[in-house]
Amino acid sequence: MDLVTGKVERLKAQILKTEVELQQLKTQLAELEALPPPPSPPSPPSPPSPPSPPSEAQVQDKSTEISPEWKWPLKEEEYARYGRQIILPSVGIRGQLRLKSAAVLVVGAGGLGCPAAAYLAGAGVGTLGIVDGDTVEVSNLHRQIAHSTARVGMKKVDSLIQYCRGLNPEVKYVGYDDHLTPQNAENVVSAYDVVLDCTDHPTSRYLISDICVLLGKPLVSASALRTDGQLIVLNNPPAAQGSTDGGPCYRCVFPKPPPAGSVISCGEGGILGPVVGVMGVLQALEAIKLIAAGTGKENNSIPKEPLTPSLLLFSANSSTLFRSIRMRSRRSNCFACSASSTLTPKELKAGSLDYVQFCGVATPINILQPDERISATYYNTILASETEERGLLLDVREKEHFDIANIPGAINIPFSTFQTRSRSTSNGDASHLEWLPEDVGSDTPIYVVCRVGNDSQLVTKKLKDMGLDKHGERFIGDIKGGMKAWKLEVDQTMPFT
Amino acid sequence: MGAIPKPPQGQFNVLYFASANSFTSKEYDTLPAPLPIGKLFDALEEKHSGIKDKILSSCLVTVNLNYVDVPNDNSEDASESSVVIQAGDEVAIIPPVSSG
Repeated sequence: MDLVTGKVERLKAQILKTEVELQQLKTQLAELEALPPPPSPPSPPSPPSPPSPPSEAQVQDKSTEISPEWKWPLKEEEYARYGRQIILPSVGIRGQLRLKSAAVLVVGAGGLGCPAAAYLAGAGVGTLGIVDGDTVEVSNLHRQIAHSTARVGMKKVDSLIQYCRGLNPEVKYVGYDDHLTPQNAENVVSAYDVVLDCTDHPTSRYLISDICVLLGKPLVSASALRTDGQLIVLNNPPAAQGSTDGGPCYRCVFPKPPPAGSVISCGEGGILGPVVGVMGVLQALEAIKLIAAGTGKENNSIPKEPLTPSLLLFSANSSTLFRSIRMRSRRSNCFACSASSTLTPKELKAGSLDYVQFCGVATPINILQPDERISATYYNTILASETEERGLLLDVREKEHFDIANIPGAINIPFSTFQTRSRSTSNGDASHLEWLPEDVGSDTPIYVVCRVGNDSQLVTKKLKDMGLDKHGERFIGDIKGGMKAWKLEVDQTMPFT
Repeated sequence: MGAIPKPPQGQFNVLYFASANSFTSKEYDTLPAPLPIGKLFDALEEKHSGIKDKILSSCLVTVNLNYVDVPNDNSEDASESSVVIQAGDEVAIIPPVSSG
């Protein structure tokens, strides 16, 4: 068995290494192909002739030997590749040329970034930059469609670029295999015309918005969690801080970050693939519309009306899938884009803005005394003892988690319903606890378990506040570290979600 | 969820999105109208204890799909935001979604 595992690991490592090598070779090739063609030997002047269709060989030799009579702004291959979108009035040949000369930055190569980058690459943007410091994990693959099972362990940036290059080798790809920070943000973002926020945390959302305001870049922002999504085009049109012509920034829409403890990641809250997929696809759409219509550098002469953008809400479970909210223009007291803003690129780079502190740090809950907590191992011995001391085990995870796997004998009272119910019994009357099995004696110990050991403490405390512990006569406590500890200490086979 | 029914006579609907939906375990609530926008958060806190700090403090509020400012307790701009929610209005509580 160990032999096989070792072989599998070796093969995986070898595949990964070879894929990285292959990608480096492709990059080298693309760079060489992008060089100007060598000067061709002077040929005798020939009488002008009508352009003849280039031969098969000429088509394949696209950038090095375009036939001299080719007089069209795009390469022949590009007319074939982009023809279906060029014939649309909202794109046209002008729009396609704008796309070709545009540089777009996608920050985040996950559930939003994968589809967004794929459609931008397909549409033929000139340069596509991708920023992400993470590596591909198996749990990403149900939604991060550009990665693959064979590329688990690879840098997401490399994996996404590999996918996009396969889709369209005409695009110039630039990867940044690090997270965006206040220190590198200016250097990374300044080379681009449009930025897409495909990240997954409030800290990066405020940072990206700030740098886009400072550098005058329109920002297409989207997010998704569980079955909900949001999309908004920010700082569009971009304008100097204090200018009322500019579109609002992220801080205008959400001046205050959500409390740190309430920020849930896709890993904790769950996410449906198509939900984040549809938001990423819409981001690509908004970016293509912006570029094809002539945003940024070449469009400065056109007078701009102050736009009031709309925030698009997506709710997968609602009968109204999409709702569009009319927003306001810039906030007159906005921290970043108003006249009173003191934000500068220098200040940002110097790190005087602490985004982590601004958004707060979720500290692990620690409200119980050591004697109110037992280890998973200890609860296992209680289970094995087969005496009455087994007590009542409350699993306060949400039902979906509980249904996947649970400890024998546990009853499921999800934390959320528990909150709702205890609200109505806040007078401390324990008789309203309808979830308490009737045959449970009033002295039976109660053990509380959750996912990682935070909610279980809150519930333990709540039960005691309600007087269920009869002033210490009855034991009420939690299992330290929750189901995660149970898996680690007691049952390694238990699926942990 | 199915279609949200029209509010009864003299009432308005409050829709809960994203984490507001998770917190309340509800798609919407129905409240009596008229209600000055400045009193909305207190009315919701009464229904869902803790919602003000955990959700409402950082969320965006709309009335009939239009963004509105909600004056905070000690706000100077209370006069500016004189929106009064009327019967039949649709209020939405929209917390930021950050993941992706």
